Amino acid sequence: MARGKAKARSIYKSSAKEKSRGGKATPTQTIMGSERVPESVLTRVSDKLGIPVSQVSHMVETIGRVAQEAGDTDRIVEKYRGDKAALIQILLEIQRENRWLPRDVLMSVSKNLGVPIGRAYRIATFYKAFSLTPQGRHQVSVCMGTACHVRGAPRLLDRVASTLSINPGETSPDQKFTLHTVNCLGCCALGPVIVVDGDYHGNPTPKEVERIINRCD
Amino acid sequence: MVRLKSAADLEKKRAQILSKRDPNKPCITVCSGTGCHALGSDKVHQAIVSELSRNGLKSKVDVRRTGCHGFCERGPIVVIFPAEICYLGVKPGDVPEVVSKTSADKELVDRLLYKDASGERIAHEGEIPFYKHQRRIVFGSNRLIDPKNIDDYIALGGYSALAKVLFEMSPEEVLETVKRANLRGRGGGGFPAGAKWETTRNAPGDIKYVVVNADEGDPGAFMDRSLLEGNPHSVLEGLIIGAYAIGSHEGFVYVRQEYPLAVSNLTLALSQVREYGLLGKNILGSGFDFDVGVHRGAGAFVSGESSALMTAIEGIVGEPRPKYIRTAVSGIWERPTNLNNVETWANVPLIINNGSDWFASIGTEGSKGTKIFSLVGKVNNTGLVEVPMGMTLREIIYTIGGGIRQGKKFKAVQTGGPSGGCLPESLIDLPVDFDELTKAGSMMGSGGMIVVDEDTCMADLARYFTTFLADESCGKCIPCRVGLEQMVTILDRICGGEGETGDIELLEELSEVVQDVSLCALGQTAPNPVLSTIRYFRDEYEAHIEQKRCPAGVCKALISYYIDPNKCSACGICLRECPVEAISGAKNLVHIIDQEKCTKCNTCFEVCPTRFSAVVKISGEPVPAALPLGTEVVRKKGKRE
Repeated sequence: MARGKAKARSIYKSSAKEKSRGGKATPTQTIMGSERVPESVLTRVSDKLGIPVSQVSHMVETIGRVAQEAGDTDRIVEKYRGDKAALIQILLEIQRENRWLPRDVLMSVSKNLGVPIGRAYRIATFYKAFSLTPQGRHQVSVCMGTACHVRGAPRLLDRVASTLSINPGETSPDQKFTLHTVNCLGCCALGPVIVVDGDYHGNPTPKEVERIINRCD
Repeated sequence: MVRLKSAADLEKKRAQILSKRDPNKPCITVCSGTGCHALGSDKVHQAIVSELSRNGLKSKVDVRRTGCHGFCERGPIVVIFPAEICYLGVKPGDVPEVVSKTSADKELVDRLLYKDASGERIAHEGEIPFYKHQRRIVFGSNRLIDPKNIDDYIALGGYSALAKVLFEMSPEEVLETVKRANLRGRGGGGFPAGAKWETTRNAPGDIKYVVVNADEGDPGAFMDRSLLEGNPHSVLEGLIIGAYAIGSHEGFVYVRQEYPLAVSNLTLALSQVREYGLLGKNILGSGFDFDVGVHRGAGAFVSGESSALMTAIEGIVGEPRPKYIRTAVSGIWERPTNLNNVETWANVPLIINNGSDWFASIGTEGSKGTKIFSLVGKVNNTGLVEVPMGMTLREIIYTIGGGIRQGKKFKAVQTGGPSGGCLPESLIDLPVDFDELTKAGSMMGSGGMIVVDEDTCMADLARYFTTFLADESCGKCIPCRVGLEQMVTILDRICGGEGETGDIELLEELSEVVQDVSLCALGQTAPNPVLSTIRYFRDEYEAHIEQKRCPAGVCKALISYYIDPNKCSACGICLRECPVEAISGAKNLVHIIDQEKCTKCNTCFEVCPTRFSAVVKISGEPVPAALPLGTEVVRKKGKRE
């Protein structure tokens, strides 16, 4: 346990350092841990380092996010007590919390578990549940199961794709939507089905598709 | 919670649970299976709870959320016990009436009852034709219990089979009972479970594993999910009994992460059985130790194959391996591993409680017991049906399923998922069991039954399955990886209107190679959809290739949409709905589709009111020349113009 914690801390530091490389100094120690950095502090840091306030706040955000991701990762790895056989389970939990698997997260998992990074990537690319790119805020899935297929799922998919102006598997440029296809959701009675953020809609008309999509903010 | 330390403790617990329950107290149950959930059963449940508390009826009427009832077509389903009054398609707005009639005057809400063909209302669940002809020995308890409450399962006699096995039977006797019952694996292969158990039991090694395969990847099949979500304890009880017979002390449940409710209900069930002392060290004080871990699958069809599933449990990519040595002898971490499907395990407690003779009395010569099918597609009553082996396709599709939707014509039924085949109308009286289906060129598979009508193109359906399998092929062996890809290319060509003479023979030849030399069952069975559709629907393939015609009007490249000027009433609906503005026309002017602009999205066909049915699909012949634009006047029958 203790060893795991020490390891966790070292990764935490290195990724924070890595992110702020190129800056004149690292504002890590002063900012980390506080939930929200007051405006006045940002201005003073900006004055001291001679960089614009916007850049400072961007750095703070990035550091916070990376630290949290690393913290989350370590927490999840810790839960499985560093069991190599749990690699898929660990990645699944990270995917669920983070909605995608960034490179540094995969690196830190592989380091923590002592498995080659290649194996982590092999799993991340083999299974459908994982994504190596950020996902949109709204998840749109069109069921392509057999029952939905015979009831016209391909046409529904075309319609949804053209409404969203993205292809299946893609995320809209504004990160608002990601469009997926899934093979059977088990609610064949409704088919063809589209699921938006967990809400099921059975056999929607073209107008309804538009309405469902437009309802997402 | 008190740990149960003996079989007597379990009985005492059961008596205690039952003594607190009044069988005559009204209980409103709401189905919370996936189908009903998607239709809004959560809101109905909330409405019932708040309605009861508003009327001060909380202590007088119980509310229970149950697992899937199976009649997904008509959800959300509400059943009121003890009279078993079944309300279908219940909306939150119906709740006040349901509650007041149930609690006060015991009246029925007529409009929510099932209405049969003659218009008569049926109040009792068991008398609805959909249920009446089923034999729900495995699936039937779903509607009675709250899957989140172990006491509900125990109240129905749950874990009594486990107690019987642990205290009254030797492992050999258990094995013998399962063998005599001739229980065959419900996951696809139909391999006798007893023989498999025996192999694992006799395999060398002290550490042995038992596995529940809940990686139900077949699109269109969801019976395992509904069992695991709705009655997880029945699966666990079967698994523990199997472990006892085999001599295993550790088990796994491998469940798809796409089934979050199954994962959470299962995890909860596991923590409850551990607390009760029905799992873990010294189960019920018998000295037998056994525990179970849950592994979530990350979304790969091939991981449902036994050897691939086992590698996935080891934390490696779930790819199959050659099975020169069976997994029953060398499975997870090269230790003897017995894997069975969810439904197979759920049958075990029934066999123990009722005896192998009882089980063997149900079904056909070679296939005993019942099978749960997911009856979906173009059938009226979509849902899960459990019938004795040997029932004919006709009885399942027409008597239980209520026939084809919208009065269309039955064309085929696809069984066995992507590895199965399509059976035509000439085989509709085929008795459904493992052997008959295989003989007809299909298979039982996990029990998907997809009904298709005249509007389904068989070549397109074969392409759908082959594309699915090509996507899901792990790529380890060449025949499957490359062969399926080539088959997809040919099928794309046929459906795209570029099929060549000889393509059918080429498909057959390729299929033979893929079948013969692929490494695992995925590849070995992958050509089934293509072969069975060629076998029974060769004329459809030929129409695509020779006449460039899609008889069902599905393949986009081979169809055109045309508005019949004699039928068009210039209502303007298709004109407004067309997403690419390919339709021109105006008030009193016949609408015309610009074939150049048309993307064949089918919208006009769908929105054209049925009383006109002016939009038609044309395939295999040229589209009639359009009448001159802007000059036509709509001919309205019986009107003054």
